[in-house]
Amino acid sequence: MREHPLARVLLRGATGLVLAFLVAPMLAVVVLSFSPTELMVLPPRGFSLRWYEDFLTAGRWVLATRNSFVVAIATTLLATLLGTAAAIGLQLGRFRGKALLVTLLTLPMVTPYIVTAASMYFAYALVGLTGSLPGLVLGHTVVAVPFVVMAVLATLQTFDANLLRAAASLGAPPTAAILRVVVPNIWPGIAAGAVFAFATSLDEFVITLFLAGPGQFTLPRQMYASVREFLTPTILAAATLLFLCSLVFLLASESLRLRSARKTLP
Amino acid sequence: MTDALVRFRGVSKSYDGRTPVVTDLDLDVSRGEFLTLLGPSGSGKTTTLMMLAGFEDPSAGSIELDGVRIDTVPPHRRGIGVVFQNYALFPHMTVAENLAFPLSIRRLKREEIATRTRRALEMVRLPGFGDRRPQQLSGGQQQRVALARALIFAPKLVLLDEPLGALDKQLREELQAEIRRIHAQLGVTMVYVTHDQAEALTLSDRIAVFNEGRIQQLGTAEAVYERPANPFVAGFIGESNRLAARVLDATLLRLEDGSTLEAMPHAFAPGTAVLVSIRPERVLLGPGTQGLANATTARVEEVVYLGDHSRLRLAHAGRTDFVVKLPRQEAVPQPGSLVDLAIPVAAVAVFPA
Amino acid sequence: MRRTNWLAALLIAPLLLLILGSFVVPVGLTLFRAVADREVAAALPETSALLASWDGQGLPPEGAFAAVARELAAALEERRIGDLAQRMNFESTGLRTLLLRTARAGDRLRAPYADALVALDARWGQRDTWLMLQRASGPTTSLYLLRALDLTRTPDGTVTQVAVEEKLFRTLFLRTLWVSLLVTFLCLLLAYPVAYTIARLRAPWSSVALTLVLIPFWSSVLVRTTAWYVLLQREGPVNDALLGLGLLDAPAQILGTRIAVVVALVHVLLPFAILPMHSVMTRLDATYLRAAASLGANGVQRFLRVWLPLSLPGVAAGGAMVFLLAVGMYTAPALIGGDRDQMVTWFIANFMTRDVNWGMAAALSAYLLAMSGAVIALTRLLTGGAVQTGARA
Repeated sequence: MREHPLARVLLRGATGLVLAFLVAPMLAVVVLSFSPTELMVLPPRGFSLRWYEDFLTAGRWVLATRNSFVVAIATTLLATLLGTAAAIGLQLGRFRGKALLVTLLTLPMVTPYIVTAASMYFAYALVGLTGSLPGLVLGHTVVAVPFVVMAVLATLQTFDANLLRAAASLGAPPTAAILRVVVPNIWPGIAAGAVFAFATSLDEFVITLFLAGPGQFTLPRQMYASVREFLTPTILAAATLLFLCSLVFLLASESLRLRSARKTLP
Repeated sequence: MTDALVRFRGVSKSYDGRTPVVTDLDLDVSRGEFLTLLGPSGSGKTTTLMMLAGFEDPSAGSIELDGVRIDTVPPHRRGIGVVFQNYALFPHMTVAENLAFPLSIRRLKREEIATRTRRALEMVRLPGFGDRRPQQLSGGQQQRVALARALIFAPKLVLLDEPLGALDKQLREELQAEIRRIHAQLGVTMVYVTHDQAEALTLSDRIAVFNEGRIQQLGTAEAVYERPANPFVAGFIGESNRLAARVLDATLLRLEDGSTLEAMPHAFAPGTAVLVSIRPERVLLGPGTQGLANATTARVEEVVYLGDHSRLRLAHAGRTDFVVKLPRQEAVPQPGSLVDLAIPVAAVAVFPA
Repeated sequence: MRRTNWLAALLIAPLLLLILGSFVVPVGLTLFRAVADREVAAALPETSALLASWDGQGLPPEGAFAAVARELAAALEERRIGDLAQRMNFESTGLRTLLLRTARAGDRLRAPYADALVALDARWGQRDTWLMLQRASGPTTSLYLLRALDLTRTPDGTVTQVAVEEKLFRTLFLRTLWVSLLVTFLCLLLAYPVAYTIARLRAPWSSVALTLVLIPFWSSVLVRTTAWYVLLQREGPVNDALLGLGLLDAPAQILGTRIAVVVALVHVLLPFAILPMHSVMTRLDATYLRAAASLGANGVQRFLRVWLPLSLPGVAAGGAMVFLLAVGMYTAPALIGGDRDQMVTWFIANFMTRDVNWGMAAALSAYLLAMSGAVIALTRLLTGGAVQTGARA
């Protein structure tokens, strides 16, 4: 069914404009980050890597990058482990209220981050977890783990429950069955959840704002502070590098999606 | 049944606590036999198999294997091989890795695993297929691998849950022969679930016919086919014409159209309403039948040519759906013509109405 | 199967504990904090106890005067008067000075305390002062929840509007609601044709277009907000372009305006509208359209009577997600918006970090949660629970 030619032109034109609106700001940031001067004007007047050099040599940016990656890696490990285990448990168990449990475990996904962050700040203050990297990791894990649960649950929908029965009939105890049969078959879902968790942690700003100690800057926190303070192209270099990370996440998640789509074909 | 390998005693199962799926089941499986659980879907046959495998817990009763209660033992410690309808081969492992799985779980030595894997592949006539992935095999080949995997750790008992359901007719027959051969060769006890009565008749030493959660009849293929215990078995296994009748005396019955029908001596009191079941292939047709028991003439309503035989629908006993099977070599009458027929006394099965 | 449930429970338990301990209980504590009132009872335990048995007529007995003088002095000595002073000042401006003055005078006061206190500050002779102290003795208060709706209680307990110059929060909630609805509407308006076109594009082009949506989806919110900060500067590319096109005579101050906030929010949230719509539309069977055509429907009718109704679940999911994220978004409005045009989230953060008024932060959080919950419940109701809401932002 074809649309009317005029409707088609209008639709495609509108789509092109919206897509341009979506992508253009990022492209502008990338281009401006190579600006030779502090002036951020388009089109650029020359090319220089000085802001990247500045980023790599400025102690606070390097520290923020290190903090960001330390927290993101720890968050990813914790969220993937807990989220995968819970998703498998949800799939295995036969009990009432499963839907309610899934809702509860994924609630941080739909709660305003500011409320989550403020609440964590109150609660963590009671047990002395504020201002510490472990506290930050726990906080990030809470908001990252729903994505792991959802991704793994989605992959488990296509997992043949008879494989578990087969493993049991062949003598495998439940733990061996999970490790040797379930996990190898659903790993694209687990990996997709891990990518989501990593991206969420790397991107997270509000919870960091409340839970991190005075010296514990992450990349988003450092960016926010720098923008408020004085806008320099160094911030754009940082933004470009983060943007590069997001492209890697996109590639990873799409290739995992293709892989699990291929897996579910007969 | 002195040498029973499996004993079900008073086993019941209900998923919701109200609707029974299996009711008060008593069943012995003899050592070395090939027992088929046959029945329509929802009859409880698969649930029975799943309880034996340990994938479902009985709501009541006990199950013994080799004299030991197993219904509280988790499935992975029962040592029972299971072949699944969809094969359930691990897609992330090669054929050889699938076969090696139960052996590596049991911590066998590497060389031992290699030897037994090779032998298992030879047994199911797939030597050299070890490095393939299950997805690269045909359905029949996958089912052979699944069979080999269920047998490789030498279980005392192998359960097969409609293993040939997904295959086409020709392949199914080929694999039936294969399963029979392996059963004879290894002497392992097999419990087989199917809803296909022809498959049950072909394979089984004994058949347990299930309906509505209960065993309707347990016996050899010949017994359940020739001497069905009740109308359900008669109707489910093979085809049968069912007629309502009333008892006149020890051998004579009166049908709904007023004609009489002679049966083998039975124990029903005169006047009792009964149900008569007559197998289509046991009705005799042709001019030579006059003078035999229950001889009569009927009009042919429809003829369906089926290759090895023809099916005739006759107007008989006040109905127009009386089916008779005519072997190939005999002359096929035209629709609308009259045919002579006779019903041997032994072919008339009488059940309570 | 009983055993399987044990295993399942064992697998779920660690995450459940984390979510309960680090999310459910903390959020519950926040909701409790919105009504908790402990500062007065903590700093002035004896006074609170004495006031609890006061009938509220006239002035409290001499014992209460004595207790308040002694306990205030002790609180100042032990440096725990800050919370109390702030709590009472929130009740009525000026009480801070009264309490601090009395605390400092503590040692010099002599019995009879009633006369001494009234001599120190006439407000001790007013019944309202004591009524406010009595009411603030806890353990719970509706003060924060009322104040978050621009309401307050008079000393005798009736609920009234706050003074005009103190009115703030109703406008704030309406503003947040209005901006969120506007952003949701714009996102849906822009997303629908894009989702439709991508769903109908041929093989390589549909993937290319979808990638262009996924790139911002995966990018950091802060990176995208920063991009707009750069673009919308007074000397930035947008102003340059507008000047170059002759649409402006002089560079305009775009940053800090509501337009800037809406543009940035639409940019940040648009992928969350496009993606659910796209996923519903790609699963729509084209044979429905063929069937409609064979039944005589023209292009407009096919769209309005077949495609649009079938794609509505995607619109509902996308709309709910955008609204949820918009209401709860802190980063973009905080960076792009003006200080006098901020959202609820910004006030929560401010009460948390700058004013250290955790009661107000908690009360605003409670209303924000209620708004989000209402949207989720409404979406579930409208779509029959078929649509999952959730997103990364």
